[in-house]
Amino acid sequence: MRIIDLTINDLKQIVRDWKTALFLVAMPIGFTLFFGVIFGGVGGERDPRLPVGFIDQDGGSVLSTHLLGLLDASDAIRPIVSDESIERAEKKVGDEDWAAAVIAPAGYSERVLAGEDIALTIIVDGSTAAGSTARGGVQTAVTRLQGAVKAAQLSAKALESQEKSVDEELVTQALDNAIEAWREPPLTVSVAQSGITTEEDEGESVMATPYGQSSPGMMVQFSIAGIMSAAQVVVLERKSRSLQRLLTTAISRVEIILGHYLTMFVMIFVQLALLIGFGQLALGVDYARAPVAILLLAVTMSLWTASLGLLIGVLAKTEDQTIIFSMVPMFILSGMGGAWMPLEVTGEAFQTIGHLLPTAWAMDGIQNIIVRGLGLESALLPSGIMLAYAIALFALAAWRFKFE
Amino acid sequence: MKILDIALKDILRSLRNYFFLGFGLGVPILMGVIFYFAFGGLASEDGFEIAQVEVLIVNRDEPLAEYDGFSAGKILADFLQSEELAGLLAATEAASAADARAAVDNQEADVAVIIPADLSTAAFDPQGKAEVEIYHDPTLTIGPGIVTSIVTQFMDTLVGSKIAAGVAYDQLTAQGATVDAMVLQNVATQYGEWSATLAESQGASPLLDIRSPAGKKEEEGNMALEMVGGVMTGMMVFYAFYTGAASAMGILQEEQDGTLPRLLTTPTPPSAILGGKLVSVFALVIVQVLVLMAFSSLIFKTEWGAPGPLSMAIVGLVVLAASFGIFIMSWLRDSKQAGVVIGGVMTVLGMVGISSVFTANVPGAEGGITEILPLFVPQGWAMRAWRLAIEGSTAGDVLPPFGVMLVLAAAFFAIGVLRFKKRFV
Repeated sequence: MRIIDLTINDLKQIVRDWKTALFLVAMPIGFTLFFGVIFGGVGGERDPRLPVGFIDQDGGSVLSTHLLGLLDASDAIRPIVSDESIERAEKKVGDEDWAAAVIAPAGYSERVLAGEDIALTIIVDGSTAAGSTARGGVQTAVTRLQGAVKAAQLSAKALESQEKSVDEELVTQALDNAIEAWREPPLTVSVAQSGITTEEDEGESVMATPYGQSSPGMMVQFSIAGIMSAAQVVVLERKSRSLQRLLTTAISRVEIILGHYLTMFVMIFVQLALLIGFGQLALGVDYARAPVAILLLAVTMSLWTASLGLLIGVLAKTEDQTIIFSMVPMFILSGMGGAWMPLEVTGEAFQTIGHLLPTAWAMDGIQNIIVRGLGLESALLPSGIMLAYAIALFALAAWRFKFE
Repeated sequence: MKILDIALKDILRSLRNYFFLGFGLGVPILMGVIFYFAFGGLASEDGFEIAQVEVLIVNRDEPLAEYDGFSAGKILADFLQSEELAGLLAATEAASAADARAAVDNQEADVAVIIPADLSTAAFDPQGKAEVEIYHDPTLTIGPGIVTSIVTQFMDTLVGSKIAAGVAYDQLTAQGATVDAMVLQNVATQYGEWSATLAESQGASPLLDIRSPAGKKEEEGNMALEMVGGVMTGMMVFYAFYTGAASAMGILQEEQDGTLPRLLTTPTPPSAILGGKLVSVFALVIVQVLVLMAFSSLIFKTEWGAPGPLSMAIVGLVVLAASFGIFIMSWLRDSKQAGVVIGGVMTVLGMVGISSVFTANVPGAEGGITEILPLFVPQGWAMRAWRLAIEGSTAGDVLPPFGVMLVLAAAFFAIGVLRFKKRFV
């Protein structure tokens, strides 16, 4: 009961300061939305393909017209027909208005059909992700176009081998047929994601969400930031000798430690509950599809983060130190645990080290539910690892806890 | 002289402070190190290191006895497991599609490539259709993208051969010529050879003349280091504004502690006291920027661009960050309010301003709102000037953001100083 009293007192002290709400709820929500926007969370109706300028100096020739059609059929890029000069096109690519610019030179069609090797000019900044994707999209379209030309040439050769006369009309017809065939290729590649479904589908799968990274990522990051104010309470109590005074009362040392620990646990758990609720109701992230698994993950996440908070409260001597001791682990644990960016984009060694941290397991556990569409079983290992961290950090904090 | 004494005292106090050392220098360096490590800077001299993609192949394709046991599925499976792709893919074969999907579901593999039984038949049958399925973990994008690109290229070769044979067949029939299977096979084979030659030269594709836009570096350097350079620039901008605000907060702190009112009772003119404090704010931001630049140059080999544009970016950042700090603090009552502003408002403004750091490697995230939004905050203009400088732009290119930074800095400084003067002098 004394533990509860101490916890209620701590919580009142924390809640009175409106900065708490800012750090615990407003900032993570703001950043979740911000990263969601960056990674395509809004504007779902607009064409998501990368804009690529198409400058036709060949005056709407056979091949440049077919090329435009093939570029438009791409899943990665969308051509924007333009009559800009090359200098203006370079500027648009440089300013990232266009991911690339394709220039069909004058005489392109005539010379290629005559069997000459003429390259199309593409202006692209290959060092950017958009540039590299756009280059791939253009290359596919150009290869298919030249493939169609090759098919027409081979067809003409086959006709000639049968001593049939070949005129320009026949070549053009063969080219048209080949391009038409490329519009609906008979052999295709389909891409499916495990656990993902669409609104029409039924079953245990989960809806694809653009917030599948930022929602759990910001929860993981700001749960660590949130412990700062609770750790400051411990530091202030030690500095003001309140802890010493508490020892003269009937409350035991263990009860004092557990009281502060419970404060941190409750605070983080409430924070996570609010952020999960926001994710579910406002962002459409399906946390509710496996409520027991999410509850288990939220509890173990709160337990380990509270243990870290208690340890920070023990180690910090001043309020300034509390901020540094909270922020530095927040940056390291969030960055290396995959809260900012998927660990997939990092090297193998980084991924291995990242998975030594509880934050990576928290991300795995939550994403198993909301992105991969898995069930309670998939939350057990991440929860177990976070629990082990909670016990280890709590033991360390309790061992080093000083009352004066 | 008094101005310098006051400034020096404030600078020394800040340099001894955990907050400046931690937030002004420690955290930005830490962030650079994390990103450097994340993108393989420690592991690879050439840059970007991406973990091998674990691929499971299910080859259900049935070889065609009439074509000497030809199997397109086997060729694809062997290609995915070839030495040539070993650096990118760790591919093995799975017994069944169900097993492969289950392995992806359980995160034992990244991607499953399921080749249908009728792939070879469909490749030869004029009416045949077939689909290779790529099944992957939804949290992954790069690995599945690589596998999809490789499989699509392979399929395009098959499709191209099939289309070429189909076009030849139609034209031969239309012209009343004899359609010999050998002729069609010959067409398909020649197309395949042309496609294979093209694939071998993809590094310098004969079909495309690839040019970089003017002002961009022609050669591709170490991408990991370039990325870390971008991150360090973002961190420098982000934390320079923190430092500007945090060091200007010293004025509020001294007022609160009673040392400023006591100082105002001495013969030192109030304008000298305020001037000294302002000098210390500028000096601390300069120290921070120079230390971070030196660290990044030494450890991450960051190339900061030509001296002219770089000087403009440095001057712009220092005056804007310091002036903005003075401006913000002049509106606040005490250090408690300042703490909230530094922790919350500056963080939000900073994240918006340097958002290009996060969008740099997201295809399609550049441009649009992510390009315009940062320009509503001062950090966004500083980031723009630094990005231009680091990308090798000319002084003329950096001039517009530099001009905006100077105008903003002058306005922030004038308002901030006027408000402080009104309050203390």
